[in-house]
Amino acid sequence: MAMAAARRALLSHLRVPVAARPAAAIAAAAGSVRAARLLSSSVTEEGAKGSFLDKGEVADRIVSVVKNFQKVEPSKVTPNAHFQKDLGLDSLDTVEIVMAFEEEFGFEIPDNEAEKIDSIKTAVDFIASHPQAK
Amino acid sequence: MAAAAAAAPTRAEVLSLFRSLLRTGRQFSDYNIREYTRRRAADAFRENRALGDAPAAAAFADGKKQLEVAKRQAVVYSLYAPKAKSIMEMKLQ
Repeated sequence: MAMAAARRALLSHLRVPVAARPAAAIAAAAGSVRAARLLSSSVTEEGAKGSFLDKGEVADRIVSVVKNFQKVEPSKVTPNAHFQKDLGLDSLDTVEIVMAFEEEFGFEIPDNEAEKIDSIKTAVDFIASHPQAK
Repeated sequence: MAAAAAAAPTRAEVLSLFRSLLRTGRQFSDYNIREYTRRRAADAFRENRALGDAPAAAAFADGKKQLEVAKRQAVVYSLYAPKAKSIMEMKLQ
C-alpha cells in the first residue's frame, strides 16, 4: 500500500521528463529512487550535450554544402579552403554560401557573424560553437 | 533628401541588402518563385557590381524597394501556397 502510494507520487512528480523518455519511464515505474535519480541526471546531461554539434560532423556537412554550390569545383574543396582565395568566390557568393549553411543547420546567422565567415574553417568553428545549430 | 540619395552605399550595406533579399526570397512557398527571387537578386547584384557612386546609390534605393515588394509578395503568396511540391524539391531516393 505504502509502496503503491510512493509509486504514484513518484510518477506524478516525473510527469514531464517521463513523456520525453519512454524507456526511462518504465525504469522509473519500477519504483526505485535510484532510477529516478538516474533519469533526472541523464535528462540534464542530454540537455547540455545535445545543444552543440560534433565538430567533425559539422565539418563534413559544411564541406558537402560547399561542394554542392554551383560555382565551386568539388575537387578544390578541402577543410582548410578559403572561399575567396582558394575557391575563387566573391563576396556575393560568400553571402549565398552562408545562407546555405543557415538552411543546412536550421538557424539564422546574424549579419555581423556572417561577415566573419570567410573560409570553411571559420564556418565550422562558428557553427560547432552555436547552441542552436542542428 | 537628394544628398542622402546620392551617397553610395557601403559594402556592408550592400551585402546586408543582398542577404535580406535572399532571406525574404526563401519564405516563398512556391519553389519556382523562391528560386527566381534568389537568381534575380544574385544576377542583379553581379550586374551592378562595378557601378559608380551615383548609379550605385540609385541601384541600392531600387533594391530596397524590391525588398519591400518581395516582403509583401511573400505574404500574399503564402495565402495561395501550392498544394503539391515541385518535383525539383523532392529528394532523390
